[in-house]
Amino acid sequence: MSADVPKSFLIQGPWQPSHMALHLMKSCLKLFPNPPSPITPSPLRRCQIHFSILNTTTTTSFSPNRTSLFHYTTINDKFPPVSSSNNDGGRELVSLSDEKLLSQCEMDTYKASGPGGQHRNKRESAVRLKHIPTGIVAQASEDRSQHKNRASALARLRSLLALKVRNTIDLETYTPPPELLQVLPAKSTIRGSDRGPQIGPNNPKFVLGMQALLDLIFAVEGSVSDAAKKLGLSTGALSRLILSDDSLRQAVNEFRTSKGMKPLK
Amino acid sequence: MNLSTLTRASSLSTTITSTTLRRSITISSSSLSYTPTSTNPKTPLFLRPPIFTATLTDLQKFQNWAKTLTSSIGSSFKDSDNGPDSTILHRELNWFIEDAVENPNSLLTQSETEIGRVVKLRAELGDLYTLWKQRIEKRRPFQYVVGCEHWRDLVLSVEEGVLIPRPETELIVDLVCDVMKMNEEMKSGLWVDLGTGSGAIGIAIARVLGEFGRVIATDLSPVAVHVAQFNVKRYNLQDKVSVMQGSWFDPLSGFEGRVAGLVSNPPYIPSGHINGLQAEVGRHEPILALDGGEDGMSDLLHLCNGAEFMLKSGGFFAFETNGEDQCRFLVDHMKSVHNNSFCDLKIIPDLAGIQRFVTGIRS
Repeated sequence: MSADVPKSFLIQGPWQPSHMALHLMKSCLKLFPNPPSPITPSPLRRCQIHFSILNTTTTTSFSPNRTSLFHYTTINDKFPPVSSSNNDGGRELVSLSDEKLLSQCEMDTYKASGPGGQHRNKRESAVRLKHIPTGIVAQASEDRSQHKNRASALARLRSLLALKVRNTIDLETYTPPPELLQVLPAKSTIRGSDRGPQIGPNNPKFVLGMQALLDLIFAVEGSVSDAAKKLGLSTGALSRLILSDDSLRQAVNEFRTSKGMKPLK
Repeated sequence: MNLSTLTRASSLSTTITSTTLRRSITISSSSLSYTPTSTNPKTPLFLRPPIFTATLTDLQKFQNWAKTLTSSIGSSFKDSDNGPDSTILHRELNWFIEDAVENPNSLLTQSETEIGRVVKLRAELGDLYTLWKQRIEKRRPFQYVVGCEHWRDLVLSVEEGVLIPRPETELIVDLVCDVMKMNEEMKSGLWVDLGTGSGAIGIAIARVLGEFGRVIATDLSPVAVHVAQFNVKRYNLQDKVSVMQGSWFDPLSGFEGRVAGLVSNPPYIPSGHINGLQAEVGRHEPILALDGGEDGMSDLLHLCNGAEFMLKSGGFFAFETNGEDQCRFLVDHMKSVHNNSFCDLKIIPDLAGIQRFVTGIRS
């Protein structure tokens, strides 16, 4: 693992090439105690994973000697478990510039059958990004240009990182970070009036707030009422915030289920 | 529109003659002619005014007909010449309807009560049938059918006679951006896109240039020149991009030694491979833009030789090639023949992992 790999999470290995397309690595063994399973794509909205193209590809498209322009790190298909606590690793990842985040990724399109370039007209503009340090994969194929698919895949990767990579929190000294305050409704008693309007799920900045909120929910063992107290909100108001975003709701419910709690509805 | 076009067009569909006549009044260009007959570029489907109507029911009838036709292809194109299978064609069909309907999102929110609703179209419903038939039965490239290609963040007009820009080529612009990031001066320099086709690379570079940067885009084909000019205008870059007609460096006399960057996606397919190309490419795209001579290297070698006297010291070039063999040959050629003229020679793969581009700096 290279030096800039965040160490605040555990990684489950080994990578299984035969299921590579279906697997997003569960990045945190400690917090996802269930056996790693393919993440189902359907309920995710902002992190939609598209499989239509994948049906036509095989695992040979990810040959180990493939290189790409944005691939600066060694390809490593096995992720040894890493446990350590560098508190800001996950947050740093999600707030990286596009360029920096791309530089940690291996990017490819689906393997061209044949020589490609001028030979071919298939409009296969799908892009797949694999974040090397975490093994998280995001892809996009719905747009008509490769360039835009790359941008969508990157936005999706950011959401997935926010959903999957946890920062540890010390509840004794906890104060919500600004990015979390920004996504809270105005009625929060600790939000302060100078925060500007509430940032909603369609704003790219929401991802950072979502990550911080998940950090807190995980720290309070999934209790929405405990988390709500820390945020100066009623339990109902925090529930509504969680339910306002499909991927956030799903992440919270997955965690609550693993703790034997009822999912939020 | 001349007689030969009409004859050719009418063989495609029995309804075409009347359509063409009506179109000649309402719309200056017809989507139904195959061969470019005038130097006025056709307006892409998505930019045409939504002056036609159909009921939602009739549009759905078309959609079902087109889906059935598309599904019937299965993998037969793929098996015969590595063409698109029905999965890819279905995706194209969705994009086709997206371009043809004024407000495609409204189709998603229909309810039972809206079945009789009228939808505004950018082409007559009858033309949609004809166009989709051309896509499937004649293997007419999707991009020619809708008259545009989405490339990077651009939507470029394309038509018969102009090479459809490929996703691989998008990377040339990233390579240029990298160079500009390392050397801000390059943003104010003169950039040249040789064999510009639709104008894709030249336009994309112009959009990242600084205030004083300029692009000259050349092409031998008059159709390409007009389409490139149309695209330059659409992105309001007339002040930054000049499109010139002529072979390779011919239009550039007087600029020797003054060019900051030289980029090209020249024809590089070996002549012997032209016959085996998938039908969309081989039957419909301009051979001028594809056939690179016996080994596919004729034009690339010409470009390498020209780069030596066109580029100023520190100038950058990037050429697209057919793959690893051509890349290696070019790098060897530049090292041995143009001894000491170039430095920092690199071979760069495309996103599918194929060694695709050769780049370098003029010493």
